[in-house]
Amino acid sequence: MKKKILVVEDEESLRLLYEEELKAEGYEVLTAGNGREAIQQLETGKPDLIILDIVMPVMDGMETLGRIVSKERKIPIILNTSYSGYQQDFMSWAADAYVTKSHDLTELKKKIRELLEKGKTR
Amino acid sequence: MKKVLAMILAGGRGERLYPLTRDRAKPAVPFGAIYRIIDFTLSNCLHSGMRRIYALTQYKSTSLSRHIQLGWNILSAPLGEFIEAIPAQQRIDEHWYQGTADAIFQNIYTLQVERPDLVLILSGDHIYKMDYRKMIAFHLEKGVDLTVAAIRMDRKLSREFGVIEVDGDWRIVGFQEKPEEPKTIPGDPGGILASMGIYVFNTEVLVRRLIEDARSDSSHDFGKDIIPIMIGKDQVFAFDFRQGDRGGTGYWRDVGSIDAYYEANMDLISVIPQLNLYDSQWPILTYQPTSPPAKTVWIEEGRVGTALNSIISNGCIISGGNVKRSILSPNVTVHSFAEIEDSILLEGVDVGRKTKIKRTIIDKEVQIPPGMEIGYHQDEDEKRFTVTASGIVVVPKGIRL
Repeated sequence: MKKKILVVEDEESLRLLYEEELKAEGYEVLTAGNGREAIQQLETGKPDLIILDIVMPVMDGMETLGRIVSKERKIPIILNTSYSGYQQDFMSWAADAYVTKSHDLTELKKKIRELLEKGKTR
Repeated sequence: MKKVLAMILAGGRGERLYPLTRDRAKPAVPFGAIYRIIDFTLSNCLHSGMRRIYALTQYKSTSLSRHIQLGWNILSAPLGEFIEAIPAQQRIDEHWYQGTADAIFQNIYTLQVERPDLVLILSGDHIYKMDYRKMIAFHLEKGVDLTVAAIRMDRKLSREFGVIEVDGDWRIVGFQEKPEEPKTIPGDPGGILASMGIYVFNTEVLVRRLIEDARSDSSHDFGKDIIPIMIGKDQVFAFDFRQGDRGGTGYWRDVGSIDAYYEANMDLISVIPQLNLYDSQWPILTYQPTSPPAKTVWIEEGRVGTALNSIISNGCIISGGNVKRSILSPNVTVHSFAEIEDSILLEGVDVGRKTKIKRTIIDKEVQIPPGMEIGYHQDEDEKRFTVTASGIVVVPKGIRL
């Protein structure tokens, strides 16, 4: 069974990049352009892991994070951001990993593998 | 000076206090003629120097919010001080609070905005007088992550409490929620240390543990989940209530049932009550609309208005009736030839002529028609009212008799 990853990112070009690269890695990819779409995808698509941007329209990453955690307590979440002040936000501590936004996805892919591995043993 | 934020858990349903909690949350239940239960915790906060206080409400919160707004709007907003009721906002989750820890977790944004060094978590359900500064000083002196206030209770009451196990330094080494076989106090096999639901947390540790708890299968409760987990990995100490007990009598009550509520009220009419309401350095504040002073009228053959061994509030008129060993909230009227004994009459109750009332709690604004007897015929009382195991009758608010 392919693992399903939900990419939550408002910038379309980045979203497409993530989608392509992660599909190439053998994952099934769902996408959402903001937090509200992400919550819908969480309910209908049942992802195994979520990559979450912070600064987004409609519903931002921090609020989305709180809502995800209260719906699906154990789903691994990676906060993916270029904004460095996020750790001021208590809710950010609920994420399982933090990756700085980049066009090079090596670090992100590594974290995804780690978290999905960890999830197997849980 | 450390920055402390007080958060009072005021969402208790108080199901065993029904019907007094039919229209209000437990912290809003009237107590001691003119107070509400939460007034004791709020007064403690104020006298302990707390100036940033949130009461977290949820069920049936209208009456409580109104009371806080009317009676406790006494701090200075320009100085950054406040006492404020926060209803469940469903900002994170669409459900009611699932447990005490969840109530704080759901308000994590509030913690973030305030950014206190320490969070003092309290319950709005208990009646006691305590100087929280003593507990905070202990917490800082020990340099720990969490301090839990503890009171000695009889071993046989263990099933009603979270029981704390300590070592010789009062470090908490075990915690049992309502155990049948409790760990007793070292050197005191008849006693247990009960958690009073009063916690001092370092904010960062609190937030981390709340988030971990939110992400796990848990009942999201401080006593059942957070404290047991913290014992293993953080510095957790117990604070002896006697070190902070303002009254010095060890008085602390969770008026969880109608019988306990009745007894705690009735203690106030004894000659020297365990709970001293007359300490001018530690007054219990409340909201009370201005009413004229209490008065008694009529002295004539067979018709004398009297009140003996009783508490009579402002606005009461004892008009040719007799009141014994009872507590009357404001604006109660007792008409001629009525006999009231061992009872609690809440605000605005009107007792008609020739009525007889004994061992009865009458909720607000009830009119007792002339000639009625309550508390004398258990069968009849049970048909109309709640009657407790020990025979206390409760006449609910709004009933038409």
